Amino acid sequence: MGGACSRKRDQREEEDNIGGGIYRRYGKSGSSKWLATSFSRQSSDIQMGNGKCLSLMDLCIKKIREDIDKYTTFSMLPRDLSQQIFNDLVFSRLLTEASLNAFRDCALQDLYLGEYPGVNNSWMDMVASQGSSLLSVDLSASDVSDDGLIHLKDCINLQTINFNYCDQISDRGLECISGLSNLTSLSFRRNNAITAKGMSAFAGLVNMVQLDLERCPEIHGGLVHLKGLTKLESLNLNWCNCITDADMKSISGLTNLKGLQLSSSKVTDAGISHLKGLHNLSLLNLEGCLVTASCLDSLSALAALLYLNLSRCRLTDDGCEFFSGLGKKLKVLNLAFNEISDTCLAHLKGFTNLESLNLDSCRITGDGLANLTDLRRLKCLELSDTEVASNGLRHLSGLVNLESINLSFTAITDTSLRKLSGLTSLKSLNLDVRQISDTGLAALTSLTGLTHLDLFGARITDSGTSYLRHFKNLRSLEICGGGLTDSGVKNIKDLSSLTLLNLSQNCNLTDRTLEMISGLTGLVSLNVSNSRITSSGLRHLRTLKNLKSLTLESCKVSANDIKSLQENHLPNLVSFRPE
Amino acid sequence: MRKEDTVKLISAEGFEFIIHKEAAMVSQTIRNMLTSPGSFAETQHGEVTFPEISTTILEKICKYFYWNLQFASGKETEFHIEPELTLELMMAANYLHT
Repeated sequence: MGGACSRKRDQREEEDNIGGGIYRRYGKSGSSKWLATSFSRQSSDIQMGNGKCLSLMDLCIKKIREDIDKYTTFSMLPRDLSQQIFNDLVFSRLLTEASLNAFRDCALQDLYLGEYPGVNNSWMDMVASQGSSLLSVDLSASDVSDDGLIHLKDCINLQTINFNYCDQISDRGLECISGLSNLTSLSFRRNNAITAKGMSAFAGLVNMVQLDLERCPEIHGGLVHLKGLTKLESLNLNWCNCITDADMKSISGLTNLKGLQLSSSKVTDAGISHLKGLHNLSLLNLEGCLVTASCLDSLSALAALLYLNLSRCRLTDDGCEFFSGLGKKLKVLNLAFNEISDTCLAHLKGFTNLESLNLDSCRITGDGLANLTDLRRLKCLELSDTEVASNGLRHLSGLVNLESINLSFTAITDTSLRKLSGLTSLKSLNLDVRQISDTGLAALTSLTGLTHLDLFGARITDSGTSYLRHFKNLRSLEICGGGLTDSGVKNIKDLSSLTLLNLSQNCNLTDRTLEMISGLTGLVSLNVSNSRITSSGLRHLRTLKNLKSLTLESCKVSANDIKSLQENHLPNLVSFRPE
Repeated sequence: MRKEDTVKLISAEGFEFIIHKEAAMVSQTIRNMLTSPGSFAETQHGEVTFPEISTTILEKICKYFYWNLQFASGKETEFHIEPELTLELMMAANYLHT
């Protein structure tokens, strides 16, 4: 009984392979956007039994969680049940070194203990006791060392090992896993001690599909040991700044590679020429590499390429004619922070399958955008910090599939914004531009599908806020140009989908603003810094139970005021300023 | 209780629990047994035997069925589980898809 309807093992999502390793977390505009995704899970997220009828199964697991100290072993249970108990304890952060022993010999398949507090070598005995049942283990950010790794030797069926951020693991530890030939996925991110010598342990892991050595600065020369891993599909060497052209030669025969991440390595055009034979490669990340437009010639041999990140490379217009040779299949192209101009854009005309184009900080102008008019599939266009001015927006009018445009820090003006009014698929629009005002916003009221609107530096005043009522789906809004008063907030208080609201730098906002937005109960992040907010206004925020981040710098509010608000009313608040 | 509205659940030791069909259907497994097309004995006689579920556990399960119905109708109470029954109950719950 029980084992009969064994549940499927969870397939863990691949974290961040798609998108070409574009780091969006640190925006230069000082926007607070990244906050929304960077909160760590809090134990208060676990709210079981609130108005929801729990299954008997869930009730039993809950009961076991409450009485966990009373159990000495779960080994009599079918594997899938002890696995569920284990997962529940890990999730609720209640697994301790003491309760751990009850899971000895439970034939568990998955031990996801990544970033779990307190994990060290003494936990490895329990891990090893799962023996040949164990299929995947994640001990990332633990204190497990080489001596702990020895325990994995007999877990011969292991398919997945994650030891990211484990700085006590070195070459000696790798030796212990050299016999685990069933491994398909291995990850040792940010390890300073792994060298080419230790990587010889990988040579026999012939079933390897996915290898992640991001931020391992000493692994150069070690890729020769990967030559026989012909099943390898994904190799992440981002931020391994030791990797050179010679290393590229070592992997030139891995023709099953689909994803190769090399950002911030020392690879040059010569190194890229070794990759010509990787005909299955669909994702290539060369961000911050020393390559020039000449490497495009080699890349044009990669017929399967869909995602290409060339941001922060050494591209210039010189040699950019090679772009024409790049597969017309390309879906995502990142050319940000290169010294390229409109001349280069002329060679992108035929990229009709392109869905995302990033030209952040390139030297392109509005005229150059004329080359993009046939890219009808374009969903995402990044033009921040370019020389694009008002005359260029007319070329975008026909790109009706556009869902996201970033025009921050460009030279566009109010009058040109009506050229965007027909782009009704737009969900995200960044107009963090000082010369944009209420008039510009008035031209955009047809964009009712907008969920993200960034008007950070725009000169929006109270009268301009009346147009915001057309954007009922807005989830994030930033207006920080200084022109708002409390009466403008009246038009914001009914945007009930808002989860992020940034009204900082509007120094005339008072506690009245907080009173008005107290109904925006979906808010996760709120910033009203540099305003006349006082501590007595904080009481209006008690209703914002979802709030995780609150920033009230340069207001008449002290850290203790916010702390008491957090303790008494806002249990989910994890980040606040002043702190 | 009309006979056609009830179902008889029989424990490993042979104890019989006659409960409302509606309650028993809280279990996906029992629901499948009682509603599956064809002439399964369970469907015809409204009777299900559980050779692996003890009387104590089956009684607890019947209580859960009714607790579940009550909960669904708005009466939200705690469902008490004795610590010594938890593991066995969990195995049964897993089998019964409850």
